[in-house]
Amino acid sequence: MSERSIEARKKQLMKMFQRVIDPLGYKFNPDNELVDFIMEQEVKLEREAGAPFCPCQALPERREDRMKLVCPCIPYHRKHFDAMKACWCQLYVHKDITDTSQLEQIPITELE
Amino acid sequence: MAKIVMYTLSTCPWCKKAKTFFEENDITFESIDYDLEDKESQKEIITKMKELGGTTATPFVIIDDIVIVGYRPKEYAKALNLGDGSE
Amino acid sequence: MNAGGVNLKENNKWVSVSVSSEFSDGSMKVVSVGDQRILLIQVQGKIYGIENTCIHMNCPMHRGLLEGYTIKCPCHDWEFDIRTGEHLMADELKIPVFECKIDENDVLIKMEG
Repeated sequence: MSERSIEARKKQLMKMFQRVIDPLGYKFNPDNELVDFIMEQEVKLEREAGAPFCPCQALPERREDRMKLVCPCIPYHRKHFDAMKACWCQLYVHKDITDTSQLEQIPITELE
Repeated sequence: MAKIVMYTLSTCPWCKKAKTFFEENDITFESIDYDLEDKESQKEIITKMKELGGTTATPFVIIDDIVIVGYRPKEYAKALNLGDGSE
Repeated sequence: MNAGGVNLKENNKWVSVSVSSEFSDGSMKVVSVGDQRILLIQVQGKIYGIENTCIHMNCPMHRGLLEGYTIKCPCHDWEFDIRTGEHLMADELKIPVFECKIDENDVLIKMEG
């Protein structure tokens, strides 16, 4: 996969995902370097595993479980992500977040 | 010395940060990139993650018998008695 | 006016897109109105219309699985209620829906503007 095709797909995915995250109250992380890295992983995952999966969650075998990890996976982890004010990999953060250093990964088991 | 095993993904930036934390503190650890393992090992790993932590989110760090899911330097430091964990 | 082989008989905002004899419960048909592709689905004798494009990654919904009033996108299994267009897990996410009715034998879709 050429650098150029990775970049082009990244842009396409980000445009589509923006449409989804906006009504859910999220925006792309203001840390551009992190967004760039995660999106690149997603483009590669899409080519290799068939979908732009979350790069920070181990992919289970069952389709039903895997599909809950396709980015943006916010609808399937709403309570968890709303409590963290970010999705697990922090590609997306709540719209009111400006200081991302305050964000922390907290497993769902600690929030239940 | 604590035994540290970490389940990670080669695609996960927070896993890289977790590894860096242990490296910078000169702590030996074993890390297994789930996505680079074969299907059989993946099955075993995912079963273990669910059993121990109820999740398949990474980084998944096991320090002796303490499970810490996520990039959480303060929690790692606490489990290792390293002080406040600030970098 | 002819779009995608469908004869459009404009009647105020209601546009004729098909004939009711082509439908039975569970049947799905894609029609074109201008540049829009609309998926018509009949459930319990009533016809519903949704845009034929998933809001996630633009997949064509007509290849999806219909179960009751729920349609599942064939690409990544996002599920929507065909009556409201709402995603089952997050009602803020909506596929645009179109009001449909049957007038004599014609299937009509209400188009905006």
